[in-house]
Amino acid sequence: MDLAQIQHDLDALGAETRAAVDTATDVAALDALELDVLGKKGRLTAILRGIGALPVEDRPKVGAIANEVRRSIEGSIADRRAELSDRELDARLAAERVDVTTPGRSIRRGALHPIPETINAIAEVFGRFGFVVVESPEVEDDVRNFQMLNIPPDHPARDLWDTLYVDIPGGLLRTHTSPGQVRVMTTQAPPIRVLSPGRCYRYENVAADRNFEFFQVEGLMVDEGTTLADLRGLLDEFAHAMFGAGKKTRFRPGYYPFTEPSVAFDVECLVCGGVGCPACKRTGWMTILGAGMVHPAVLRNSGIDPERYQGFAFGMGVERIANLRHGVPDLRLYLEDDLRFLEQFR
Amino acid sequence: MKVPLSWLREYVDVDLEPEALAARLTLLGMEVQGIERRGSEWRDVVVGELLTVEKHPRADRLSLTTVRTGDGPALEIVCGATNIAPGQRVPVALPGAVLPGDRRIERTEKMGVVSNGMLCSGDELGLTGDADGILILSPTTPVGVSLADLYGDVVLDVDVKPNRGDALSIIGIAREVSAVTGAPVRWPATDVEEGGGAVADHLAVDVADTRLCPRFVGRWASGVTIRPSPDWVQMRLLAAGMRPVSNVVDASNYVMLELGKPIHTFDAAAVSGGRIVVRPARAGERLETLDHVVRELDPSTLVIADPSGPIGIAGVMGGAGSEIGETSRNVVIESAIFDPVSIRRTAFRYALRSEASLRFEKGQELRLARIGADRTARLVHEWAGGEVARGRVDTNPMEPEERTVAFRPGRVDRLLGTSLGPGEQHALLARVGITTAAPGGPVTVPVAGGAAPTTVTAPASEALVATIPTWRRDLEIEADIAEEVARVRGYELTAPTLPATVPPGWQPSPLGLRDRLRGTLVGAGLTEAVTYALVSRRDLEAFGWTVADRPAAGEAARRGAPIGVMNPLSLDHAVLRQSLVGSLTGVVSTNTRRGNADVAVFEIGKGYGRLDDGGTEWWRLGIALTGELEPASWNRAGRAVDVDDAKGLVELLASELGAGPATYEPLRDEPILHPGRSATVLATFADGSAAVTGVVGELHPRLLAALDLRFERLVVAELSIAGLGGGSPRVPRVEAPPRFPAVERDLAAVVPDAVAAGAVEAVIREAGGALLTDARLFDVYRGKSLDADARSLAYRLRFGASDRTLTEPEVDAAVAAIVVALGDRLGARIRG
Repeated sequence: MDLAQIQHDLDALGAETRAAVDTATDVAALDALELDVLGKKGRLTAILRGIGALPVEDRPKVGAIANEVRRSIEGSIADRRAELSDRELDARLAAERVDVTTPGRSIRRGALHPIPETINAIAEVFGRFGFVVVESPEVEDDVRNFQMLNIPPDHPARDLWDTLYVDIPGGLLRTHTSPGQVRVMTTQAPPIRVLSPGRCYRYENVAADRNFEFFQVEGLMVDEGTTLADLRGLLDEFAHAMFGAGKKTRFRPGYYPFTEPSVAFDVECLVCGGVGCPACKRTGWMTILGAGMVHPAVLRNSGIDPERYQGFAFGMGVERIANLRHGVPDLRLYLEDDLRFLEQFR
Repeated sequence: MKVPLSWLREYVDVDLEPEALAARLTLLGMEVQGIERRGSEWRDVVVGELLTVEKHPRADRLSLTTVRTGDGPALEIVCGATNIAPGQRVPVALPGAVLPGDRRIERTEKMGVVSNGMLCSGDELGLTGDADGILILSPTTPVGVSLADLYGDVVLDVDVKPNRGDALSIIGIAREVSAVTGAPVRWPATDVEEGGGAVADHLAVDVADTRLCPRFVGRWASGVTIRPSPDWVQMRLLAAGMRPVSNVVDASNYVMLELGKPIHTFDAAAVSGGRIVVRPARAGERLETLDHVVRELDPSTLVIADPSGPIGIAGVMGGAGSEIGETSRNVVIESAIFDPVSIRRTAFRYALRSEASLRFEKGQELRLARIGADRTARLVHEWAGGEVARGRVDTNPMEPEERTVAFRPGRVDRLLGTSLGPGEQHALLARVGITTAAPGGPVTVPVAGGAAPTTVTAPASEALVATIPTWRRDLEIEADIAEEVARVRGYELTAPTLPATVPPGWQPSPLGLRDRLRGTLVGAGLTEAVTYALVSRRDLEAFGWTVADRPAAGEAARRGAPIGVMNPLSLDHAVLRQSLVGSLTGVVSTNTRRGNADVAVFEIGKGYGRLDDGGTEWWRLGIALTGELEPASWNRAGRAVDVDDAKGLVELLASELGAGPATYEPLRDEPILHPGRSATVLATFADGSAAVTGVVGELHPRLLAALDLRFERLVVAELSIAGLGGGSPRVPRVEAPPRFPAVERDLAAVVPDAVAAGAVEAVIREAGGALLTDARLFDVYRGKSLDADARSLAYRLRFGASDRTLTEPEVDAAVAAIVVALGDRLGARIRG
């Protein structure tokens, strides 16, 4: 073995290997080739085993050549490996292709019912003004539902509330959330700011705009200097929060035995914007709630000094507010619970 | 209250357009709920002059007329009425005309003669009550003019509030208009042309109970001729929503609408001896009322009687026997005041709420008895002729002075948030006839009325004394005066302010926990329902739980007899529910019948009953699932719901509450539920108190069949949850995750079917001790290698300690303890 022979063998190995690298079709073949040529027991090592027969002065030359060949082979393998692995990845990606235009795996989601959601929306607005939610029972008695609210037996104003009576002496299903006022005022001292939502009942035939079961939210504020002007300011804030900042409101006299003065509160028609249409009976206004300054007799009946304290109360129909907010045409839909209706409130 | 503007204008000038007037009245508290334009429904109806009236050539009962309706050629019109004659002016509906009720008039042939339109009766036009004859207009009515221009009217529908009985009258609305415009009110004439002897010669009235009848004014008219009222009267009554009857009856109705004073007229021939007694009915007395119903009277009913018995129910309805009829010659006019409460009760008792009783029950000023009697007598004389006897029978001629109410203008301003002061308040009150004056000394200010009125004494310098018009019975206390000031001034002028006072302290919302759970369940795919609390007795019984109720901590128990409604609207809603599952079953039924087979709903609502502590309501959360919770899709197989889905939801709720794992006990004897697929549920807090309790299971197939429900299976749950009645969501207390790794071991226990998995897990947890941090069932196996009545339950056990990594021997010892306990207590064999 002489230098020329080794040099020749190395060059030949280099050429042969590069040719094999070029024809390798996958990374595995390349790995095998690499092991066969460059491995510890590979062909390059085998050639270099002949180096011991060379003169000492030739050995570095062989070393340099061998390193050159090794680098060359390594370089071509690395290039080819990158090329092949790119190609393999491309093939895998092509094989893994899915039709991404199909719909996804649906996640079933329910819907919250608009009645409690509307109550929450109302409570959120008044909550910003310090009103806290207090609930009270639905099975009430005549005393709290009527008498303490300044509606004695046989009072003509009782016509405003057709009542369902229950088989408990003196018992009835509350016709409004107003007995909640009495329950609060008989147990709490002013200052009072409460909101009392809940289910109410009336002897009323079912129609698109009325039902024998319905929901109300009652508000009550009692303090030393709470005025009718404060009531108006607060209701304006409420109307703007619920129906839009620019909406006009109207404040006009109403009648309730438990408020004096009494108020009816209108917002400009949400359908026609106040021009007049069938939805607002051509008045341009929609009544959204009743209110007033708490009648001094109601304060006194509840143990609050009407000389020192004054305040206001308001009550609104939850369905009415929800109708206006969501465009619901018929109040019966709320308790019918047709999923095709409810699922729109997602 | 229907207010024809033509009638209103008799008492007050109105320069405003109807819409503007309506808006002003509404802002004054007299809400106008509708504006009706009478005559707008008449199209192509004009005034015609009858030129000729001849017999129809081929029909005896028809006339052939020629009618001039303007400058064009006369029209030939066939007419069936008999009250027509040449020269009369009559309403003519031309071909193409439309009459009330959408009745269309066309050119038609009647027995061989073409009729070019129709002559109209007052009834056909909705103008008068006469349907038999053609409406004969005044001879001076201009020919060719549209009838709508002549007789059209605008009628306001005013919602008069219960406290303003005085405004249930045209004159009352006129007073309100006057408050708006300042135009003076013209009072109708009440002077009567009298003759023919004194009233006392004909009529005597005795009131047995002056509390129930504080005043009775009677007048007597002789020799009247009963016939229809003048057309203009009929037109007014109809416009105001009242059917014309005859001149005398119309006179009483006219006065009721005009003055708000109900009047009754009797045929004097039926008033025995001209003697009237106002007294309670006697037991057993009967009366046939004007509606021809014979009514048994009871002693709490006040009646108008003559010596032979009742002739009317006071203030509510007259008797048929004394009704004014065509042959009536002499008339007794009753203008009385009755106790409002008595009238209201009586009207309800006999289900006879009339225009009269509505006015009586709101209270009437004593003065009106006299004025109403005189006004009626005058109209009877004008419209029915005869003679009105001199004077009145009057049981109580005393007419009280106007009342006064002292008030403090400063207090009024403080209530309204205004600074009007006494001067401006004085001027505003004057517009509704309230005069104010400074008192001579300290005065008593009425703050609140009632059985024990609340008053304060105010120094003269701070108070005014308001003199209240007699008709304003609603103004009694200082706050009433404040409302009057605000309303006359215009509520709209109330400048909005926001409360400047310090709000009360913070309180948690009772809606908090409910909202959290609602969000959780909606996220889990359920939709929230809100159902009727009133259900049928049938549903109440079908869904009456028999399993004993254990409420969650702090929650009311489901207990006590049901609460029924005494006056239900229908049998479907006659009693308050005691179960949410019943209501939700209805929701599922509604939706499946409408084609939605997959329904997953929940409701947070109340059950109702007579609780031991006097309470009546308890909160529950109900769940109902049917069909597929995860519907089949191209990328997923569908899966029908089963009890495990409901249990999964229960466990989700328990974890939301921060409770320990839910445990189940088989429930085999609840008739509502499937005996093999139902359980009671309990999840507890760390302190052992109940967080979630209730039942979960499948509805019993027998119940599904009995209720004719169209779905195969319904999985339900009804839960009591701590805090549902008003609690806040949990604020979790947390610790750092364990620093030492956990060790997992799998353990399969073979047990007989009779041993419940819940029992196996309970033994594992107990025997595992403190090192066992979790035990999760991951496989249930039955098969050939096992006995037929045995199954293998495989649990993945997780062990760990917060202060160290467990050693193998420690874990082995813990597992061994579990194995021993399972074998000893449940006869379990460890598999594989």
